[in-house]
Amino acid sequence: MTPIPPPEDDTLRHHSFDGIQEFDKRLPNWWLMTLYGAIIFWVGYWAYFQWFHVGLDGPQEVTREMSKIEAARLASAPTTDNASLWKMSRNPVFIEAGRATFNTLCASCHTEKLTGAIGPNLVDQLWIHGGTPTEIYTTLEKGVLAKGMPAWVPVIGAKKSAEAVAYILSFHKEGEPIETQAAWIPQAPK
Amino acid sequence: MSDQKITIEFNDKVVRQFLLASVVWGAVGMVVGTLVATQLNYWQANFNLPWLTFGRLRPLHTNAVIFAFVGNMMFAGIYYSTQRLVKARLASDFLSQLHFWGWQLIIVAAAITLPLGFSRGKEYAELIWPINIAVTSIWVVFAVNFFWTLAKRREPSLYVAIWFYIATIITVAMLYIVNHLSIPTSWLHSYPVFGGVQDALVQWWYGHNAVAFFLTTPILGVMYYFLPKAAERPVYSYRLSVIHFWSLVFVYIWAGPHHLLNSALPGWLQNLGMTFSLMLWAPSWGGMLNGLLTLRGAWDKLRTDPVLKFFAAAVTFYGMCTFEGPLLSIKSVNALGHYTDWIIGHVHGGTLGWNGFMAAGMIYWLLPRLWSRPLHSIPLANLHFWLGTVGILLYVGAMWTSGITQGVMLNATTEGGTLLAYPNFLDTLNTIRPMMLMRVIGGLLYLVGWFLLIYNLWKTIATALPVNGTIEVFADEGVTAHEDKITLVGTFLNPPVAFSILGVGFSCAWMFGGDFLSIAGMFGLLLCVVLAYTHFESRGKNWATWYDRLLVNSAPFTILVVIAVAVGGLVQIIPTVLVDRAANVEDRRQLPYTPLELAGRDIFVSEGCYNCHSQMIRTLVPDVLRYGDYSRLGESIYDHPFQWGSKRTGPDLARVGSKYPNIWHLRHMEDPRSISVGSNMPNYPWLFTTPTDVAALPGKIAVQRQLGVPYPAWTDAQIAADFNQQAKTIAEDLQTAGGVIAPDKQIVALIAYLQKLGKYETVAPLTSAAR
Repeated sequence: MTPIPPPEDDTLRHHSFDGIQEFDKRLPNWWLMTLYGAIIFWVGYWAYFQWFHVGLDGPQEVTREMSKIEAARLASAPTTDNASLWKMSRNPVFIEAGRATFNTLCASCHTEKLTGAIGPNLVDQLWIHGGTPTEIYTTLEKGVLAKGMPAWVPVIGAKKSAEAVAYILSFHKEGEPIETQAAWIPQAPK
Repeated sequence: MSDQKITIEFNDKVVRQFLLASVVWGAVGMVVGTLVATQLNYWQANFNLPWLTFGRLRPLHTNAVIFAFVGNMMFAGIYYSTQRLVKARLASDFLSQLHFWGWQLIIVAAAITLPLGFSRGKEYAELIWPINIAVTSIWVVFAVNFFWTLAKRREPSLYVAIWFYIATIITVAMLYIVNHLSIPTSWLHSYPVFGGVQDALVQWWYGHNAVAFFLTTPILGVMYYFLPKAAERPVYSYRLSVIHFWSLVFVYIWAGPHHLLNSALPGWLQNLGMTFSLMLWAPSWGGMLNGLLTLRGAWDKLRTDPVLKFFAAAVTFYGMCTFEGPLLSIKSVNALGHYTDWIIGHVHGGTLGWNGFMAAGMIYWLLPRLWSRPLHSIPLANLHFWLGTVGILLYVGAMWTSGITQGVMLNATTEGGTLLAYPNFLDTLNTIRPMMLMRVIGGLLYLVGWFLLIYNLWKTIATALPVNGTIEVFADEGVTAHEDKITLVGTFLNPPVAFSILGVGFSCAWMFGGDFLSIAGMFGLLLCVVLAYTHFESRGKNWATWYDRLLVNSAPFTILVVIAVAVGGLVQIIPTVLVDRAANVEDRRQLPYTPLELAGRDIFVSEGCYNCHSQMIRTLVPDVLRYGDYSRLGESIYDHPFQWGSKRTGPDLARVGSKYPNIWHLRHMEDPRSISVGSNMPNYPWLFTTPTDVAALPGKIAVQRQLGVPYPAWTDAQIAADFNQQAKTIAEDLQTAGGVIAPDKQIVALIAYLQKLGKYETVAPLTSAAR
């Protein structure tokens, strides 16, 4: 190949391979610093996690984080026994909050009037999965996956779920009869 | 030296063959790639046909572009450059032809078996065992042909390109053989010998280094030959070649576990994977620097020469990807990017940018040299370049946006961090739809560019004559002087090698030794660094002289390469394989599959479900909130192959068992959108009509027992009875819920398997993690 004058006073190595020649330029400092920096980081990182065991490993870390979340949930979780849920169902603040949740998430199947369409009617006295407040809450907790009812508590949390139950209960009275219904025949929403 | 000159004609025929094969298979691989990209956004493009579904075609795409496209391109480049760099014709015309035709036969076999659903269920290692044996044999043919040529060389000293070729041949053989160890259950099916975490570690040691030693090192070698040739400039720095070659081949091997960060993989392996990935950054950029800086003084040629345009862009993409790789290996970044499209973008920056553009540059440069005609059209080649570049940028940009968006959405929490902000996986999937479409467009542009290359190639060679290169040499040229010979002892007893071995030894003692050994190792390492530095400062000339001598000794050079690439794998894999499997389970051990569930699992593997669904809940809060308690080592201990997955186009399945009723799965597999509105999963109608292969089960269970899965000594009749009983129970349950299906159909087995996922027995926790 035709030798082009090198831009700097480089020395070429004496050897050439099929016409390919090689300079022997020194390694750029920033490149060396990157290499050395990564090596020093390795020593420090390994010492922190594996030698002195200061850093937590993945399972320890996630267990700690999850217990914090668990604690936060427990601290803010509403009580979901029958008496408390009935009490919430008479409180306008809870009913309003429950209405908002219900209309966004539940009304597409149960309708805004709660009279049922794809999912069952929630204002009559017929219940498939139990009609006590706790049983209704459990249905939200576990879902009825076979019928397309999702488990809502893990998704929207205990507070919003309890509010939605309170909203449903606001259409009912404590002590009214609870009758068992075998199944709901889905109807197209009107 | 005698004055007698002889003329050697190079074997350029096989170069032409490999080049044309690469062009054709490249087109096939990219067409399939565009199809699978389309399927991700438009499920209808799966056509409800088994052999056209994403799960079967994605392995075809990856195998085609890696082994068929880049493989053939690499062979063309290696054979062309090696003959010239060592001044010798390829050792054997027969082996060259055997290599070529054997490789093409393997590709055809892969193209037939993968769409038919014959798969080992491990990424880039899906091909069934008879093909594995063929690949290994042909690779040996390649190795013999190559090293035999080296033995007959007339150029005593090995050029840097040859170093990279040697590393490629050695390492790919090592990786391929270990990761394909399996026990056959039939001519078309086998189980890998490793299971669970062992299989995961071996797989990603292979998967990561397939990228390194199949897609990177040979192409770096190709770069070191073709780039200075095309630029007509000397290589920037020889000493940079030396440093970055050895650091690259040594460090690369250790970085495999970065594919398993935040998983159930033991912490020490994850920490090795992350730190070595960061240490890989500089060695990788050494290659980029030597490529780009070789173009100093030739930048003006980029305006006119499409070859240099392709090379310069390819090396730039290489630099971009090898920065992105270490970045993604940082655990916290990985928590966001892993399982998302970001990884897909990262890979395609490398394959489309680095591999594809190096291939295009090399092909455009070779055409007028292998055939008697100049390139048909330079403007067309330039158009190819711009279409390709815009295509890559659209593709990679779309995948970055998509991956980061989906990662952020999946990890987002609300209500003080106690709830997921987007509990429905489909919300995150449907947010990135526009990006998925953009990827198809980017890919299409790139594909159109490739077809321009094919047209240009055809117009160039259609009426041209093949030309073989020749060289004049002295008859007795190239004999290594006796005083330059290095003995086996001399290979190791010299400052650079001795200090390196001591340094690695002390490092390992520090990392893995007990209290005392750790301190001794750290002390030894520091001492070793100081001594090596002092020695190099005072006697650095000796190091250089020794290396010059090493370069004329191909066998000692190869031995040192073998050691450099073997260390990382040995340190990581041997402890993991030797550890008592039954004890190394954390606190849980999975329940072995029943015959029906095992049959279902084989269907899961065969359909390639792992291409979109992971089975690994990471030790990360958003993963645990979404999918349940994090996955333990013991929960996949009997899985041959492991199915931890590498991408979540759909949700994780590690704990999907018992989450939904049987009928949910039946309806979902029949038409996913009837259950999950907006899903992009294909329909699987054939699972409802194809009977499960019960007859194969006794043979499969026998192999599972050989592999250490605790199956009782069932008779064939007991297996069949157990199978029928469970299938009947599921079919009856389905019928109650309104789904009528015969118990012998594949869907029943698949449901049984899915319902088993996440089932375990509790065992006493192990106090100290096994190292």
